[in-house]
Amino acid sequence: MPVGSVMAPPAAAGHAAQPLDEIDPSPTRRLGIIGWFSLTWLGGISLLALLAPALPLKDPDRSYLEIVRTGPLQPGHILGGDGNGRDMLARVVFGARTSLTIAVVAVLAGLVVGGLLGLVAGYYRGRFDAVLTTLFNVLLSIPALVLALSLVAVFASADQDVSNGRKMSVIIAALAIVTVPILGRITRASALSWSEREFVKAAQVLGASHRRIMFREVLPNVAPAMMSIALLGIAVAIVAEGSLALLGVGVTEVPSWGNMIALGRSDLARNGWAVGIPSTAIFLTVLALNYLGDVVRARFDVREGVL
Amino acid sequence: MRRTRIYPARGHTGGRRVIGLVVLGLLASACVTVSSGSTQPSGGDDDDADAGAPQRGGTLTYALEAETTNGWCLPEGQLAISGIQVARTIYDTLTVPTGDGGFVPFLAEAVTPNDDYTRWDIRLRSGVEFHDGSPLTAEVVKNNLDAYRGQYPGRSSLLLAFVFGDVATTEVVDPLTVRVTTTRPWSSFPAFLFSSGRVGIMAQAQLDDAEGCARNLIGTGPFRLDEWRVNDHLTAVRNEDYWRTDAAGQPLPYLDAVEFRPMPEQQQRVNALKSGLLDGFHISSNTGALTIDEMRALDEAEQVNLAESDDFAEVGLLMLNTTQPPFDNPLAREAVALAAERELALEILAKGIGTLANGPFAPGSVGYLEDSGYRSSDPARARELVEQYEAETGLPFEFQITSDPTPELLQQVQLSKEFFEDAGMKVTITTLEQSALIQKAIEKGYQAITFRNYPALDPDTNYVWWYDAARNPVNFMGFSDPEVSALLDQGRTTADPAERARIYEELNRELAREHYMLWTSWTIWAVPLDDRVHGVVGARPPDGSPDYTGLALGHDMAHMWKER
Amino acid sequence: MTLTRELGKRFLGLILVLFLVTLFTALLLSMVPGDPVDTLLPLSDSSPEVVAQKEALREELNLDEPLPARYAAWLGDFVRGDFGNYYRTSGADPVGDRLAEALPVSLQLMVYAQVLALLIAVPLGVLSAYRAGTLFDKAANTTAFALLAVPNFVLGLGLAYYVGVVAGWLPPSGYVPFTDNPAEHIQRMILPAVTLAAAQIAVYMRLLRSDMVQTLQEDFIQMARSKGISDQRVLWRHALRPSSLTLLTVAGHNVGTLIGGAVIVEVLFSIPGLGTAIAQAIFERQYVALQTFVAVLAILYVLVNFAVDVLYTVVDPRIRHARARN
Repeated sequence: MPVGSVMAPPAAAGHAAQPLDEIDPSPTRRLGIIGWFSLTWLGGISLLALLAPALPLKDPDRSYLEIVRTGPLQPGHILGGDGNGRDMLARVVFGARTSLTIAVVAVLAGLVVGGLLGLVAGYYRGRFDAVLTTLFNVLLSIPALVLALSLVAVFASADQDVSNGRKMSVIIAALAIVTVPILGRITRASALSWSEREFVKAAQVLGASHRRIMFREVLPNVAPAMMSIALLGIAVAIVAEGSLALLGVGVTEVPSWGNMIALGRSDLARNGWAVGIPSTAIFLTVLALNYLGDVVRARFDVREGVL
Repeated sequence: MRRTRIYPARGHTGGRRVIGLVVLGLLASACVTVSSGSTQPSGGDDDDADAGAPQRGGTLTYALEAETTNGWCLPEGQLAISGIQVARTIYDTLTVPTGDGGFVPFLAEAVTPNDDYTRWDIRLRSGVEFHDGSPLTAEVVKNNLDAYRGQYPGRSSLLLAFVFGDVATTEVVDPLTVRVTTTRPWSSFPAFLFSSGRVGIMAQAQLDDAEGCARNLIGTGPFRLDEWRVNDHLTAVRNEDYWRTDAAGQPLPYLDAVEFRPMPEQQQRVNALKSGLLDGFHISSNTGALTIDEMRALDEAEQVNLAESDDFAEVGLLMLNTTQPPFDNPLAREAVALAAERELALEILAKGIGTLANGPFAPGSVGYLEDSGYRSSDPARARELVEQYEAETGLPFEFQITSDPTPELLQQVQLSKEFFEDAGMKVTITTLEQSALIQKAIEKGYQAITFRNYPALDPDTNYVWWYDAARNPVNFMGFSDPEVSALLDQGRTTADPAERARIYEELNRELAREHYMLWTSWTIWAVPLDDRVHGVVGARPPDGSPDYTGLALGHDMAHMWKER
Repeated sequence: MTLTRELGKRFLGLILVLFLVTLFTALLLSMVPGDPVDTLLPLSDSSPEVVAQKEALREELNLDEPLPARYAAWLGDFVRGDFGNYYRTSGADPVGDRLAEALPVSLQLMVYAQVLALLIAVPLGVLSAYRAGTLFDKAANTTAFALLAVPNFVLGLGLAYYVGVVAGWLPPSGYVPFTDNPAEHIQRMILPAVTLAAAQIAVYMRLLRSDMVQTLQEDFIQMARSKGISDQRVLWRHALRPSSLTLLTVAGHNVGTLIGGAVIVEVLFSIPGLGTAIAQAIFERQYVALQTFVAVLAILYVLVNFAVDVLYTVVDPRIRHARARN
């Protein structure tokens, strides 16, 4: 899955290869070291992000003269300071809060909307399916970053009063809109194939309601495919937030990994840490998400044909 | 009868200034940069002296901090420093500033006032041709001046029209002389014939080019336009028939061509210079103090030839929109001024490089005061004022700062925000690209904007920026201050230097009292060049006056040359 | 017969998608909060000239017309190559001119990136499939996986500074047309192309590897081997061929990703392509230009994928038949 580039089309996602240790043929694969590391990192960073205000961290917006443009291991500031002398540890943790909120909320929204639409379309087929598929194709045919960029530019920067909350919402909405067709298409394809299975037919014959079948029979089987793509989607959204920040239309009021890199780029020669630290955070997070996405796919035998 | 020198030389550098007009500006600076006085010497450049005689030929690649997407239909243009640098390369202005603060004829041969400064005869150089071969005549110059003041059919001068509002008539006296009359005495008029380099003289063909005026540039300048590809490069090649010669009587310019490249990312300019893709670029301490610091070190190491100057400096400022809350209230303006911890900001952001400003007039210029009464950095008092403001008005003390999205500026704005919030204000930040920012300023669609402006030329040139907003679209702060307007009127119509100094000093104090603008620092402008490129400064005006050493308005490129 | 029908169906789909995409971009301007004319012509004074100017623009953009009429007018202009003008204080600055200058530059960058990605990914993918399980395979796979997690802007910033400036190996920014100086052109394009290609390399390599590992198990390969055909030949002639179609499809779909990446890469490396033009249009609130650029990119992407799809359908009989059955 091409992360780093923004938003891979589903076909690419479908074909993306197996995890590193796929050589291991056993069907009940265990997580392995990398898997555990991924889980630990994601759990840890999420927890930190969630609890950030309650943690004994410095104020991420407070400047300290003594750590201006310094690298890690300053007294009292373990990761040093940025160009304004703000504590990098606090910023990277609060940045996680922003970046992860944007990415997770956007993908969840995409998951719910796209998933629901895809499920219904894949189950019922027919005209609704045709219309929806076309719509997804339309959305997918505008390069994702360009679409997100246009939406943010149109809705969050034309008028004068763009509060932080509004800007975040617009960015989240833009990324969600980009995510909907990706998740929708995958869910649809997967639902389509599961809906033909005997047990679904059987349930229909037994007179179960369509809603019940969709949610009780089809959805649980479709979920792994959705999950694995959603994990990759979060990774992509984190990078997309960074891209928007770099292009000058990201959040500016609170630290995010993206805007830390965008700000730090002017200091690259003087203090590479300002870019290096948030970049590392993105790298590890994306790596972990990609890996787990692959594991989910392999584990539940999400086949490429489905995608 | 007075001839070319319009102002007597003053005993120290830095004297009068002019400004320009129009729009302007650049943007930039920030709220907080400021300074402490550790500025380096300005002006000249020892490397040039050692380099020997200028050599001819070669192409100079020079990075600009922004593209001028609106182009160069000068009367309608909105030129910031990058645009001015290009304009000065393609066009000549009728006058130019000198190192002693005056203005002397340039494309004009003489600019002569009558006794009460209400009539000016501009006599042109003979034999000068535009790049299209058409001759420089009084008719063309009159048409240009009319276009600038909004009186030429087919051209609409929105902003410069106000600048030249006191011009009553223009008239062709003979084929090489234009006579301008003014509605009132205007002793500093020659400064306006330069207007920060924005009022070059265009050929008739460009002036009348309805669609292509902004792109088909035809001037009399040292280089003529070869090709402009937006966002990539603008190439100008040597004008073989250029009218100026160097001190030895040799033809100018020395270079075969100049290639301008817009590079908004500061780090990119630095990277490109270091890796040899560029011969030079410009940068100001307002956003590039750390880069200047780095370039000084490279200059020491003889890897870079650095020209820098804080002569005739412009000032960084935070403009406050006085037409809406909270800054319609003087209490609020004073509160933000006091909340800004400028020394600390300068130290953090700029390693102390730059000089904290106490007003628009830099040291050495008319109107400068050692103590203008401007105060900042009193957070405790600022907090009191914030409480007082909220109690008196019942409004929360909230505002938004609009900033260019470049990282250097954003960092400054974020630091300012920190100071302001410490004082109990609620501050948000929004980002907008430079040209859109200027429009916001004109429409008053902002609350606080970071800017840099007011290069130190004749103080009368600030008339356009500060005169009664009811009559003046370019008063970005939107204030109508009778005292400011009265002083500006007096300054314009007064010729006596001592009296003018008194007037502008009083103006300086009034601005400090009212806090329409928060001063950050007077900027250093620097031009880091490849070690083998020379000639940014040091060229004398045609009449041999001392050379103008400021860099805030770009610089002459006719004298630049490369070692082979 | 079925092939023709299949292609006909796809063509209809193409038209429909194009219609909807252009409808969306044509209406982008209408989504700007407030009066779009005020945003496009940011002049607040109400002098008669300004009012007249605004009215003229409203007229030109058909903003008073109902949506269908507005779209029809926009499409009519668009098809004729009239993309409107940038808002400028003087003279005309047609968006079409900028498009004509910028699009070829972006296309070059994307083609280079794509070619580079394939040139590196194909041999690596084939070799790691052939040597599946070896150290080489694991190293290549791990590298690819890591590469996927590096955001392109981080890679770009890093390459420009460390490779371009610190090491001084390649120019860190700028663009030189091929016709001006081919050597210089290539040099300047290397870092941006690598930045853009990096993630694609990983995608293609992993894809090819997993595809080929399966292929290599298949009977016809085993048979070829048992016939004594050299491994080399089996690998490159027999095994790669079926996988190359998959690769082609993915490469086609990836054009969208490349376009998004190009926006960032062009800005980071000062390349005067469409990405730079889009970023600038956004910063300057030049929505008329933005509309055009987005529409052009979307159309480009749709057409590339259509071409790939058609190719796929025509070339691979299995797909054709499978689809016909459905």
